[in-house]
Amino acid sequence: MNRTVDIIKKQRKATEAAKEKLKEFNRMKKAITNALREGPATIPQIAGKINEPTDKVLYYLMTMYKFGMVEVDSIDDMDEYYLYRLKKQENKQ
Amino acid sequence: MLEPKKHYDVLVIGGGIAGQETALNLANLGYKIALVEKDYSIGGKMILLSKVFPTLDCAACITTPKVSETARHPNIDVFTYSQVEDIFKQERGFRFTLRQKPRYVTEDCTGCQLCEQVCPVVVEDEYQYGLIGRKAIFIPHSIANPRIAAIDIEHCTLCGLCENVCPPKSIDFTQQERVDEIYATAVVLATGYKLFDPTIIKRYGYGKYKNVVTAMQMERQLVPTRPFNNILRPSDGKVPDNIAYVLCTGSRDVTLGNPICSQVCCMYSTKQAQLLMGALPMADVTLYYINIRAFGKGFCEFYQQARSMGVGYVKGKVGRIFEKEDGNLILRYEDIETGEVAEAEHDLVVLSIGILPNKDYQNLFKNVRVEHDPYNYVRQVDELTSPARTSVDGVFVAGTASGPMDIPDTILSAGAASSETASYLRKVYKEIQPSLS
Repeated sequence: MNRTVDIIKKQRKATEAAKEKLKEFNRMKKAITNALREGPATIPQIAGKINEPTDKVLYYLMTMYKFGMVEVDSIDDMDEYYLYRLKKQENKQ
Repeated sequence: MLEPKKHYDVLVIGGGIAGQETALNLANLGYKIALVEKDYSIGGKMILLSKVFPTLDCAACITTPKVSETARHPNIDVFTYSQVEDIFKQERGFRFTLRQKPRYVTEDCTGCQLCEQVCPVVVEDEYQYGLIGRKAIFIPHSIANPRIAAIDIEHCTLCGLCENVCPPKSIDFTQQERVDEIYATAVVLATGYKLFDPTIIKRYGYGKYKNVVTAMQMERQLVPTRPFNNILRPSDGKVPDNIAYVLCTGSRDVTLGNPICSQVCCMYSTKQAQLLMGALPMADVTLYYINIRAFGKGFCEFYQQARSMGVGYVKGKVGRIFEKEDGNLILRYEDIETGEVAEAEHDLVVLSIGILPNKDYQNLFKNVRVEHDPYNYVRQVDELTSPARTSVDGVFVAGTASGPMDIPDTILSAGAASSETASYLRKVYKEIQPSLS
């Protein structure tokens, strides 16, 4: 199959910014997925497990939520923080 | 990419609600319109709002029928992700350059979003004001029109996964920019406004303190297609229960070069406060204001309704915001009623950012000058009797390009612009061909 991407690849290379974003998302996705394999967790709990700032975890977790990789499990006893879990197809992997 | 005609009756610059309304009114009279929008979708800022004040009607429900009507109208050619450049006034009409930029996805796109699922790159989503990420190939937002994906080529790794999965084969990395020279008899400037950038006010900590957000970021949290699963504070995902609004952020402030009122912040903050009380029934919401300007039809009642619902209104000018270790914020403000300096703690602060002029129109015209008013909005040369007229014959202004205004006033302004443009076109065409009545 002729792909137009092969034509553009002869004219330009992927930018460093694109490669950086790709690496960062893969790294965070992997870390969050591993943390949630142990069971549902809040954002501060995930951040504690993977040693990343809570705001960064929120950003990537909510992006994963948007693309259907995680879902809401419940809310904690104080009604303050939601617990999130992996979506079923992720669990099987 | 759309192949433009050589000549249009009217060039409308800006596809927000003012541009759409003007284009629709003129198109319904039979005039051919080129509607040029710099963004990927028409709809302007209104399409991103949750509800409108003071009726609390759903903003998307009001605006999307107009968006569809504009996109489908046989007399309107809509050019998205496009720019108008180098407008020259001619003896009759205007010559201009239309630059259509490549989105690397053709009109065959069905908006299925399979490409988004496989794209491996995540970039800040500008349509969610950076609260979450989007992919390097993306549908701008859920009610975008046209609902065609676009590739952010600067953040694309050129992996080709999107091209592999696209069912209608609409990915085209060979797409090139298209530049055309076009003529129009009249021009309508509907270039809208810009939002104040609160990073300029360092003492409010926006950008540094994660729990200081803009009203537009809160607006996105209040729409059904919100970035998070509920309203959450961005520092750690906590459900906020004590929210503050800082009104007049970037408005009525001579030190920031914007001494005028933005006309909408008091009411949109009051609207958001009411919506928040519905979404988070346990939350306290407090608005810090200088004066409440509830001047429109039903505005005062809307404000009173918020007060009776329990929204707190503190007449106080916020001087500085400090962050505590737990992410909560201390607002230091001058209590205007007592003259004392006071402090209050909140777990989320929303800056009610104001409206600024979009000065892009000032460089568009090459051989004539569209004058601006003292605040850099398009100058209305005869505001009382002909509000859409500008300093250039044949150039009209619609909506917030002429000054801050709310949605109903924008529609009114666009109505004025379309009727004045129609009357101008009749006059010009009659001069060319007197038999035209």
